[in-house]
Amino acid sequence: MQKHAIETRGLTRRFGAQLAVDDLNLLAPEAGVYGFLGPNGAGKTTTIRMLLGLIRPDAGEVRLFGAPLAAGHLSLMRMVGALVETPSLYPHLTGRENLEVARRLLGAPRKLIDDALGIVKLAQDADRRVREYSMGMRQRLGLALALLNKPRLLVLDEPTNGLDPAGIHEMRDLIRHLPAEFGATVFLSSHLLSEVEQIASHIGIIHQGRLLFQGTLAELQAQRREHLIIGANQPERAMRCLTAAGWGARRRDDGLLTVSAATRDAAARINSLLVNQGLEVFHIAMAQASLEDIFLTLTNGRSEARRAA
Amino acid sequence: MSLIRVLHAEILKLKRTLAFRMIFVAPLLVATLQFFAIWNQRRFSANFNLWETLPKGALSIWAVFMLPLLITLETALINGVEHGEKQWKQIFALPVPRHAVYTAKLLVAQALAAASTLILCALTVLAGLALARLRADLPNTSAISYVWILKYAAFVWLAAWLIISIHTWVSIRWPGFALALGAGIGGTFFAIFAASARMGKYYPWLLPVNVFTEGRFATALLMGAAGGVIAAVIGCVEFVRRDVV
Repeated sequence: MQKHAIETRGLTRRFGAQLAVDDLNLLAPEAGVYGFLGPNGAGKTTTIRMLLGLIRPDAGEVRLFGAPLAAGHLSLMRMVGALVETPSLYPHLTGRENLEVARRLLGAPRKLIDDALGIVKLAQDADRRVREYSMGMRQRLGLALALLNKPRLLVLDEPTNGLDPAGIHEMRDLIRHLPAEFGATVFLSSHLLSEVEQIASHIGIIHQGRLLFQGTLAELQAQRREHLIIGANQPERAMRCLTAAGWGARRRDDGLLTVSAATRDAAARINSLLVNQGLEVFHIAMAQASLEDIFLTLTNGRSEARRAA
Repeated sequence: MSLIRVLHAEILKLKRTLAFRMIFVAPLLVATLQFFAIWNQRRFSANFNLWETLPKGALSIWAVFMLPLLITLETALINGVEHGEKQWKQIFALPVPRHAVYTAKLLVAQALAAASTLILCALTVLAGLALARLRADLPNTSAISYVWILKYAAFVWLAAWLIISIHTWVSIRWPGFALALGAGIGGTFFAIFAASARMGKYYPWLLPVNVFTEGRFATALLMGAAGGVIAAVIGCVEFVRRDVV
C-alpha cells in the first residue's frame, strides 16, 4: 500500500459566511512532488495553514505520515519544513543569523545552517543583512529556513511568487531535486499550471474550496481530448451560431474559438454552417487540449455549476 | 527546555535593535536630569541628605514616567519584529509550544525592564559621587544607601509587572506600532489625573510609583506582581488559542 505524507479527510473551514475549504480529501504520496493547483482565492493557503496547524479546521482532520495532526502537532512539525506565502525574515539580522534563530528554536545542530545555505546557494551572502537581499535571495533564504531541519515533508506556498524568470527557474530546479536528493516529499501550491506541471508528479486541483481533480500528472494528461480550433471574421456571432446548433464552443484569448468536436466530418459540417450564415472562416484545425485547457474546463465548469445552483 | 530554546532565540533577535540601546538611554536621561536638578541648587539646608534625595527622586521619575514609557517601547519593539514580515506563521509552524513563545516574550520584556532599572541605580550612584565631588557645600554625602536603592528598585520593578503583561499582550495581539504606543502613552498620560483620585491606588500605570506612597505600598506591590502574573496567564491562553490567518 502506498504511504501518504499528507492525508486530509473532510477538511472544512469557514470564515464567517464564506466557505473557504469544503470537504477536502487530499492524498499526497511520500517522496514525490504534489502540485496543489488553483486560481487565487481557491482555498490553497487556507488548506496549507490547516496542514501546518496555524488555523483549526471547522470539520475533518489532517494526518501527516499517518498520524493525526491534532494529537501530535509538535512531534509532527519536527518532520515538516514550511514556506508560507512570502518568507518571514528578520531584516535587521543577517541571513546566517536568521537561520540561527530558527536553529535555536529547533534545538538543532549548528552544522545544519551551512548545509541549508549550501543547498540554496546562499553561502556567499550569508553574512549580509537581509534588508540588503534581493527578492530572489529572500525567497532562497525562506527555502533554507524550511529545509534547515532536513524535513521529511516540505510545504511551499507559491514559492515563486514575485520572482523574475531567472529566479523562478532557479527555484524550480531546487525544488525538483529535493525528493531525489533528500527523500523529502514536497507539497507545493501554485496558481500556475505551467509551473506545477514541470515539477510535480501528482496534482490536486482546488477551486472554490473543493477538490476538482486529484491524481498523477499522467492521469491529468489522459483527460486531454482532441477539439477543433476555428477562426472566423465575427467570433461572437460565430459562437452564437455554433451554440444554437448545439456545438459546445468557447472563445479563447486570441479570438479563436475552441469547439468540442474531433472528427473530419464535424469540421466539414461546422465550416458549412458558418459559411452559410455569411461568416468568413479563415482557420480550421484539429488540436489536442493543453493541460491549461483541462484546468480551465475544470474550474470554469465548477463556477458555472455554482452559478446555476 | 522549549522555553530556554525560545529565550535563546529571542536574545539573538535583539541584536542591533533599538530595544537593546534603549535600556541604556532611558536611565541615562533620568540620572542626568536628577544630577542637574541637584547641581543647579544654589544652597542646601543643613539636613539635606544627598543619598535620600537623589535615589528617591530618580526612582520616582523612573516609576511614574520613564519606566512605563520604556515598557511600552520595549514591548512594541520586541513583538513588532514578529508582525513586520508575519513571522508568527513561521514560528508556529516550528515544533515550539506557543505558551513557550509567549512566556519568553514576557520574560524578555521583564528582563529588559529589570536591566534598565539596575542601570539607573548604577548611574544614580555615579551621579551622587560626582555631585559629592563637584559640590563641596553638599552636607551628608558619606553614607551611600545601596540597600535602600536596590530594595526600592526591586519594588518598582515588581509593581510594574502588570503593565509589562498588559503591554506584552497588546503588542502581540495587534500589529503596528501606533496602537501599542497609543496604549502606553495614554496609560501614562492618564496617570497624571488618576494620581490624585482615590481609585488611583489601583490604576496599573501608577502602581510602580505608588510603592513610594504611604498607604498604597502593599496594594501597589500585590496588584502589580500578582496582577501581572494573572494578566500574563490570560494573555497566554488567548495567544495559544488564536488562529494565525
